[in-house]
Amino acid sequence: MTRERFIDTFGMTHVGKVRRTNEDQFLVACLRRSMEIPYTSIETVRTFEGFGESEAHIFVVADGVGGVPGGYYASGTAVQALIDYITNTLHCCYRVDVDGEHDFIDQLEKAVFHTHDRVQQEYGSKGRGPATTLTMVILIWPRAYMVHVGDSRGYHLHRGRLRQFTRDQTMSELMVDEGVMSESEARDSGLDHVLASAIGVDAKPSIGLLDLEWGDTLLLCTDGLTKHVTDVAISEILQRGGSAEEVCRELVNTALDRGGRDNITVAVGKAHGN
Amino acid sequence: MIQKKICMVGMFGTGKTSLIRQFVYSKFSDKYHSSVGVKIDRKQVHLGDATVNLLLWDLAGKDDFEDLQTSYLRGSAGLFFVADGTRRNSYDQLFELRRLAFETIGDVPYVVALNKADLTDLWALQQQDYDALTKAHWHVLRTSAKTGNGVNEAFYWLAAEMIKNKAT
Repeated sequence: MTRERFIDTFGMTHVGKVRRTNEDQFLVACLRRSMEIPYTSIETVRTFEGFGESEAHIFVVADGVGGVPGGYYASGTAVQALIDYITNTLHCCYRVDVDGEHDFIDQLEKAVFHTHDRVQQEYGSKGRGPATTLTMVILIWPRAYMVHVGDSRGYHLHRGRLRQFTRDQTMSELMVDEGVMSESEARDSGLDHVLASAIGVDAKPSIGLLDLEWGDTLLLCTDGLTKHVTDVAISEILQRGGSAEEVCRELVNTALDRGGRDNITVAVGKAHGN
Repeated sequence: MIQKKICMVGMFGTGKTSLIRQFVYSKFSDKYHSSVGVKIDRKQVHLGDATVNLLLWDLAGKDDFEDLQTSYLRGSAGLFFVADGTRRNSYDQLFELRRLAFETIGDVPYVVALNKADLTDLWALQQQDYDALTKAHWHVLRTSAKTGNGVNEAFYWLAAEMIKNKAT
């Protein structure tokens, strides 16, 4: 049977062409609470509708900060801590109504601080040791909840228009926001890859959400992709069609073809259907 | 603690994000970022004996590509409309945006900020425009996210109205 509407997901990471180790991590997961009823004497399954739409897709990318020993461990610990936290608060993930939505959003923010604390505890760093970016989306159709720390990115393709829904938490962005530098000064400052917020150092999570439509695509990626592949090129690749896996592979291959100076990680969710 | 959701509604580039930034962080940036989806911020305010946790939903502005996504409005206790006083069309859209919002969530307390009041030379609105709003039951404030003028006043006025309006 062909499914007319479904969420197709995939994620992958590549060390790149220059670095020896891959300090990126990712997670693409699906949480389900379902009841399959192959046999019943009841004429209608209305009684069980409450379980019907209980599905949450989780996408996480994390980029261990380069140049600091243990970046790989920081990103790994962060994603693991996030999984632990989500596992313990699963009941939140299946269904979010208007009344419970802010509790759920609170839980997302707490998950990030829990992750931050875990990284600090693990390495006893008190802000001077390993750090990582962390960008997470939990999709409970049609709403995608987002928590973001650092300069990994989230993109949304909607009706042929690609838009970045995260803002890079870098020192150059901060300097412009604070009015300390003009945009051109910030571009020349070399601060565009210095993080103003990171898990393990000083996490200032940004929280948001998006309502998706069938036909939309979500992309989370680390800066190993965006160093080489422009938004225009990303948009073209996402619109070429194909499965989430094919899209991921093409994105990574394009970044590799253009230099692959950094680790490259992508996670894609495609809402197939019209 | 009482928790109330406020949605910021208006056309693109009217200063919704900047108003929240000024209100929550007392900061302003000239750099324009087009918002995507919703960004959520919080601010605790004290109104008499009550402490209210305001959940500020910064909705992407209506533009040529996107209409107001009314699904984001559900659960709102108040609406904060924003028009750019230097752009006449952002004012003209207010009535339609209010109609759409009320159609979705019913009649909740609301305020309108005529923003960018610091740009006096470029100001495009006349006295009759204010009169038209007040006659149509809008509570109108001139605000400047840049200087902070009128910003706290607008948010506090709306918060107080939401507290009075127990239904929300």
